[in-house]
Amino acid sequence: MSAPVSVNTYNANPTPGNNFYQFSFNVASGSNRLLILQLTMANTVGYSGCTYDGVAMTQLHSTNRGGLSQRMAFFYLQNPNTGNNTLRINFGNNQWNPISIHARYFTGSGGIGNEGRTGAQSTPNTQSLTVSQDSRIMGTACSVNSISTIQIPQGDNRTFATHNTNRQVGTGAISASSGLSAGTYNIRTSSTSGSVTNDRVEILGLASTPSTDDADFFMILE
Amino acid sequence: MVTIISKIELEGTDNLKYTDVGYTDDQAIINQINEDYDATLGKFLGENRTKLEIGEVSVSTFFESTSYVNEARATVEDVSDLGLTEITNINEL
Repeated sequence: MSAPVSVNTYNANPTPGNNFYQFSFNVASGSNRLLILQLTMANTVGYSGCTYDGVAMTQLHSTNRGGLSQRMAFFYLQNPNTGNNTLRINFGNNQWNPISIHARYFTGSGGIGNEGRTGAQSTPNTQSLTVSQDSRIMGTACSVNSISTIQIPQGDNRTFATHNTNRQVGTGAISASSGLSAGTYNIRTSSTSGSVTNDRVEILGLASTPSTDDADFFMILE
Repeated sequence: MVTIISKIELEGTDNLKYTDVGYTDDQAIINQINEDYDATLGKFLGENRTKLEIGEVSVSTFFESTSYVNEARATVEDVSDLGLTEITNINEL
């Protein structure tokens, strides 16, 4: 009966110059932990998996945005090991272009819910996502031009990290900490001009987790 | 939010290696580190991306005259337990 709590974040925009990039990330203790990773980089090289403390993260998607020459991806791991561990992003080949990295760790999350991905459309790009009670929504945008706003839901400007991957990226935007009521919401991304992408992912709260303690109970009398 | 300072050096013959060496929230230090990076390794990478991808240029060329470069563009909310020291003077690097 609560929204997921964001505990720690990491943003970076390095040029890996290798077939992997890794960094230390601290996941403190807490129950119902969720680690997420949003990535964008030039599509000349693909992602070949991510690990945290050596444990493979689940790939929600890896989407080629050919018009922008970018590949955008989302990985996650439920109940990652706690402590200061290495988060490693592997590539199919050496990546000599900058990569946009946003990692975030939650407690009190039931995992990943619905998601939507929409390629570049004329700014502003407004798309909907249906979520469960107490969920939060994360958004990412990419454009040739600077990202102006990411609204989650529409009308509520959220802060985000701006990165340059030879394209402009806005990453790490997330809806308010109070969580959302169950329903359908518009997510709006905008750039200074031209077109912009709109990717959105539901971060489940605990109310959305299937309950195991309210099943029907049968008593057989003989 | 604090900014992580990474040391970038040559790994093997043709790759980059990142090592976190400290953190700071001093914007003057951050700016100086990144201006130095942009004028050196950042400039080299920007000018040679395609040639680096096809193996026509090696990043080792850059490190013939420089042993390492720092960059300060990664930010993190929780720096505890990372084992890093706060950098208050750029000469500490």
